[in-house]
Amino acid sequence: MTTNRSTVIEVEHLTVSYQAKPALLDVSVKIESDQLIGVIGPNGAGKSTFIKAVLGFVKPDLGTVLINGKSAQKAKGEVAYVPQRGAVDWDFPITVKEVALMGRYQKIPWYTSPKAADYEAAFNALEMVRMQDFAERQIGELSGGQQQRVFMARALAQGSDILLLDEPFAGVDAATERAILDVLERAKNSGKTLVVVHHDLSTAAEYFDKLILIKQRMYAYGTPSVVLNEDLLSKVYEGRLRIFSDIIKKGEA
Amino acid sequence: MYDLFIAPLAETYFQKALIGGSIVAVVAGVVGCLVVLKRMAFLGDALSHAMIAGVAGGYLVMKLLFGAEAHAPGMLLGSLIAAIATVALISFVSRISRVKEDTAIGIMYTGIFALGVVAVSIFRHYIHIDLMHFIMGDVLGVADSDLWVSAFVAAFVLTLLILFFRHFQLATFDPVMAASIGLPVLLIDYVLTTCVSLVVVSAVSMVGVILVVGLLITPAATAYLLSDRLDRMMWLAALFGVTSVVGGLYLCVWLDSAGGGAIMLFCTLQFLVVLAVAPKYGLLARWRRMRNLVPQQVIEDILTTILRHGKTTPMAVIRQYVESGGKGIKKALLRMIQDGLITSSAGGYDLTADGEKEANKVLRAHRLWEAYLDTIGTPEEQLHPTAHHLEHISDTNTVDYLDEKLGHLDHDPHGQPIP
Repeated sequence: MTTNRSTVIEVEHLTVSYQAKPALLDVSVKIESDQLIGVIGPNGAGKSTFIKAVLGFVKPDLGTVLINGKSAQKAKGEVAYVPQRGAVDWDFPITVKEVALMGRYQKIPWYTSPKAADYEAAFNALEMVRMQDFAERQIGELSGGQQQRVFMARALAQGSDILLLDEPFAGVDAATERAILDVLERAKNSGKTLVVVHHDLSTAAEYFDKLILIKQRMYAYGTPSVVLNEDLLSKVYEGRLRIFSDIIKKGEA
Repeated sequence: MYDLFIAPLAETYFQKALIGGSIVAVVAGVVGCLVVLKRMAFLGDALSHAMIAGVAGGYLVMKLLFGAEAHAPGMLLGSLIAAIATVALISFVSRISRVKEDTAIGIMYTGIFALGVVAVSIFRHYIHIDLMHFIMGDVLGVADSDLWVSAFVAAFVLTLLILFFRHFQLATFDPVMAASIGLPVLLIDYVLTTCVSLVVVSAVSMVGVILVVGLLITPAATAYLLSDRLDRMMWLAALFGVTSVVGGLYLCVWLDSAGGGAIMLFCTLQFLVVLAVAPKYGLLARWRRMRNLVPQQVIEDILTTILRHGKTTPMAVIRQYVESGGKGIKKALLRMIQDGLITSSAGGYDLTADGEKEANKVLRAHRLWEAYLDTIGTPEEQLHPTAHHLEHISDTNTVDYLDEKLGHLDHDPHGQPIP
C-alpha cells in the first residue's frame, strides 16, 4: 500500500477474556486511514468483542488499543459507531433529523441547546447519504437501506474520521446493499476510515480494500486475495463452508 | 351546570386534590415516557409495592429513636431506601442466578411488599398506618405536607429531565452510542430509576400502591400513540396526566366513588379513545389503511384475465374469472389505471405495455408452476387451481429456480407456451 497513509487504529497484543475463556487472544493489527476494512470470522469469533475494544468498552487483560495515538478509553467519540439494524428500537419516537443531530451531542454542552451550526451539520450529513428529503419522518417508516443510511449520517455528523459499522448489510436486499456500499465508498473517498463487521464471505472480496480474519486469534490481515485463501478459511471455518473455491476465485479476479 | 362543574371547585379538599394530583400526574407522565420506552413498566409496579416496607421502617425508626409520630420526611426517606434496595436486589438476583429479570422483579417486590404488610401488622400498636389507605390512596384527603413533598419532587425531577434531556434521550435510544461518546450510561440509568422511585413515592398517597404504575405509564402510552418525537410525547403525557386527574376527580365527585380509582378509570378510558382514533397509530387509521389496500392477488388475476382474453376485456369477463367482491375489483381497476398497468375504454379494459409485461410475468410463473406440479405427480385436475394459487409467489428467484429445475421448458403440461 502507499506510504502516505497514517495509522489510525493500532491494536497490540489485545487479549480479552470472559471468565477464563479468551474472547480475543493476542490480536495485533495496524489499520491505516482512508480504507474500507472488513472484519470477518465465524459466529462467536470475538468480532463484537473487537468492536467493544475499539470503542473502549472492555478493559483488555493484556495489550493496548490506540485510536489516533490515544488509548481507546480516552478517545471517546473519535470512533463513530453505527449499530446493527436489529439492535435499534424502530418504534422509538424520533425523527430522521433528530437521529442525525445525535451525532453532534458530544459537542453540545449539557447546559445549552443545539445551535444552528449543529442543525446544519446534521442536515449536511443527511444530504451526504441522500436522506435530506426524509428529515421529518419517524425512523420506523423507512426501508431497511434508508434506516442504515440515517445512522451513517449520524456517524458522519459526529465528524469522526473512523467509522465502525456492525453488520450494515445484514437483512437487506441486493439493491439496498449496493446503495449502502455506495455511501460507504463516498465516505471513504472523503477521508474516512471504515471498519465494517461483515458476515458474507462471498461479497467480502468485492466490497473491501482489506480484510481482518479473526477467530479469537487474528488469522490474517491484508488484501482480500491474501486473506481469502483456502487453507486459512478452512482452518477458521473448520470446513463448514463449501463455497470456498468460488470465493477465492472472486478474490483473485 | 353550576352544581356539576363549579361547585366542587369551591371545596378546599377538591382544590387540594386537583393541585396535588396535577403536579404528580405531570411529572409521572414525563418520567413515564422514558419508563415506557425503556420497557421498565413492571419496575414502577415493583417500586410502589416495595414502598410499604420503607414507610413502615421509616415510621418505626422515627418513632422509636426520636419519638416522632408519623414523621413524613422519615417515611419518605424510608420508602426511597426500600425502592432503591428493591432495584438493587432485582438486578443482583437476575445477574447472579439463572432467574430472568421479570421473575426476579416478581419475587422481590412481592417479598418486600409482604415484609411491609407483616411489619405493619406486628407493630400495629406503634405504627398507625391504614393499610387500605396505602393500597387505595386517598386523593381527596391530600394533606398540605403531601402537597409540598410532591411539589419538591416534581420540581427536582423535571429540572433534571429538562437539563439532561438529550442525555436521557440518547441513553434510552442507543446506549452503545451514548457510551461511545463518553456518556455515563450506568449513572444515567440509576438517576432515572431514582427519579421513578421519587415520583412513585410522592404519588402513592394520592392514588395508592396499585394504581400508581398506571399514572406512570398510561398517559405516556397514550402520548406514544400520538407523537413521533420524544419531547412532544413528554408534553402530551403531562397533558394527559392532568386531564386524567381533572376528569377523574369530577367523576369521583359525581359518582361518589374512590378518588384514585376514578382517576385511573378516566385515564384508561382516555387511552382507549386515543387508541381508537389516533390519526397514525390508532385502530381506526389501521382499519382504513387495510381497507384501502388492494390485494396483489386481485391485481395479478385481473392482469392475466385480460392477457388471456386477448382483446379489450369487458367488466363482465373480469367478474367471471377474478374471485373478489365487486367493490374490490372496481377499486383494483382504478388503482391499476393510476399505476399505468391498464387503460379503460367504452368496451372494457386493455393492458398497457407495462401491464402486459407484468401479466406475462405472472403467466410465466403460473405455467412454470403447473409444469413443476406435473413433474412431482400432482393429479391433472388439480394442476390449474394449485398453480393459480402458487403463481402469486412469483419473485425472480423462485421463478428462475423452477425454470432451471425443469430444464427451461417451452410449454406447460397443457401445451401452452411458457412466455
